Amino acid sequence: MSPDINKLKRAFDPATVVVVGDKQQNHFMWLKALRDFKGKLYSVQIDPKEIAEIEKLGFTNYLTLDQVPGPVDYVVVAVPRQVSPRIIADCIRKDVAGVALFTSGFAETSTPEGIKLQDTLKEMALKSNLNLIGPNCMGLYNRKLNLRHSVTQPGGNPGDAGFISQSGTHATFMSEEGEMHGVKVAKSASYGNAIVLDSVDFLEMMAADDEIKIIGMYIEGVREGKRFFRSLKNITPRKPVVIWKAGLTADGSRAAASHTASLAESPLIWESLFRQTGAISVGSRTELIDIMKTLLYVKPITGTRAGLIAMSGGQSVVFSESFARAGLKVPRLTSSSYDAFSSFFNIIGGSYQNPLDVSWNLPSVEVMIRMLDILASDSNLDMIALEVSPFFQAKMWEDHPDFFDEMSRALLQFRNRCPKPFFLVIIPGPRELTALDIRNKFRDIGLPSFFSFESAALALRKVADYYRFSAGHVEVKQ
Amino acid sequence: MFKEELLTTIRTEKRNTLTEVEAKRWLQEAGIVKVVETVEAKSKKEAIEVSKKLGFPVVLKVLSPDISHKSDVGGVKVGLKTASQVASAYAEIMSSVKQKQPAARISGVTIQQMARPGIEVIMGMSKDPQFGPVLMFGLGGVFVEVLKDVSFRIVPLVRRDASEMISEIKGFPILKGYRGQEPANIPLLENTLLKLSEFVDANPEIKELDLNPVFAYKDDAVAVDARIIMEAAGSPSQS
Repeated sequence: MSPDINKLKRAFDPATVVVVGDKQQNHFMWLKALRDFKGKLYSVQIDPKEIAEIEKLGFTNYLTLDQVPGPVDYVVVAVPRQVSPRIIADCIRKDVAGVALFTSGFAETSTPEGIKLQDTLKEMALKSNLNLIGPNCMGLYNRKLNLRHSVTQPGGNPGDAGFISQSGTHATFMSEEGEMHGVKVAKSASYGNAIVLDSVDFLEMMAADDEIKIIGMYIEGVREGKRFFRSLKNITPRKPVVIWKAGLTADGSRAAASHTASLAESPLIWESLFRQTGAISVGSRTELIDIMKTLLYVKPITGTRAGLIAMSGGQSVVFSESFARAGLKVPRLTSSSYDAFSSFFNIIGGSYQNPLDVSWNLPSVEVMIRMLDILASDSNLDMIALEVSPFFQAKMWEDHPDFFDEMSRALLQFRNRCPKPFFLVIIPGPRELTALDIRNKFRDIGLPSFFSFESAALALRKVADYYRFSAGHVEVKQ
Repeated sequence: MFKEELLTTIRTEKRNTLTEVEAKRWLQEAGIVKVVETVEAKSKKEAIEVSKKLGFPVVLKVLSPDISHKSDVGGVKVGLKTASQVASAYAEIMSSVKQKQPAARISGVTIQQMARPGIEVIMGMSKDPQFGPVLMFGLGGVFVEVLKDVSFRIVPLVRRDASEMISEIKGFPILKGYRGQEPANIPLLENTLLKLSEFVDANPEIKELDLNPVFAYKDDAVAVDARIIMEAAGSPSQS
């Protein structure tokens, strides 16, 4: 079935939110997470002891959902599972736009009572066309409105990525960890057991949301496979979709079954799905973030030939090898590039073959930019990568932080004028803290970096494949 | 229409597997693939008459609604060049099948002319519980049985999918013509996969389909055997 999309949009963009059943035992996690929500927030609780505490925290409590004044757009339900049908009946009567059931203990337990209770909820929701999210989920996140699962999630300003997650942990992590890398999640949906709304419903909604430029997904299982496949096929050419599919090994599948009652799915079918839809397949959250970062910050990749600059000979070798292993190329430069380099390149022990080894003793930012400009106009190259080494530059970072101000400004200007995709690799090595500082400095001006040659190469390759696939896209009938 | 008649027939006879003759006729009428003409014979005498009419050499296969893997029960004899070879092949098939699968209903044999040798490819459709019909492509014989050298695509396919599923198998160089052997007509195989995709998409009552083998030639492709299993009546996976 297809949900009421306008109602779902209203639930994602609510004016009034109600938390039902938050309690001391959970440290009032929902009310506290939503305290800065930019709209009206109410509590519904019947236990006088809990009510006293809720009011002490400054929240307005009602005894039932019916008593909440005006329309209710989004409800989070955290009541014990046996009470949940009664609350869902209240939501239906109140005609709420969306409700997330945080409550768990349903089909994922494989117990007869859990399965029966889940069937009851599903039947109630389907009969009255209620946008039920979950159960066993964290529900909706809207960064701009501070609609959050935790106050540690970013909030109050817009983002550019959407995230759809069968796991609440991954949804929460993604918004916070993505932030560290410059990937700003604008909206996310954690949908748990997916008894009414499934990944495809959120996918179609986010595909039509202009705030969202790219979509990430964490999926344990899909129910409407055919609809999912056809939707995905039509969305990916307009908006990249990156999918982290879990449960494709026997043990992983068993874990997914007890987490969200997902059914076993065939790795062969998923492999075909990725090849046919152009969705990008990733195997971890780290890789998901790398790919999203590439899509957001690196210009569209039109070829596989890379120009690489490393800060030592050893690094230049493994830099090249990582790219070659990922199916990218590190070709020789044009003769005019060699002529240009020979006129000024005098680094002892360095090399201006591709890969370039500019040595740890880089003369100046000016020289660095001059070399990058030569690569930018080299017709043998489709992309350019620069290693910045915390290992070699730790002392510089401590003694001359202004050098990095100058370098980051110059690199940003270069990135903006360079017609080719350009990116940085900053490998921590033994200098984790220096690496973090340098990386954050670049990220804050819009230059996020990769943490290893291997992860950069893999992300670039997958994104290059995505752009190539989209260029040859054929629309399919729904 | 042929499909409606077919559905009525199998429901009346309470079976879900089409006979080879039914399957081939349906595929031929729907314009999916050329098939080798197959004729049923209910007796040894009839088998000899049909063989003479079709022209030697011929292939005999057991005709039974209960047997889908005919060679496993000794139900296939190939390269029969004379009437007496057909007669003894008929007898051998009957005794072997009776011994290996005593409960099977046997209505006789099917007879077809030996097809001229080509590259053996297989095409099939099975259903995934979440994603519905999925097509499979591979080279026949040892390539599929031992090396599992096959590719899959979810229906519906576009041309890029059909083209990639042929070129990504390890045995692809054989299709392009290996060491002077005749190559296969690859665009024709792509077209067949695309038509098959449309066919199974338009006929959700089909549960499984196998063209095994298809002989691929430089100028043509012909299904030598075809097997279609229909969904049980009222099955939810029909839609």
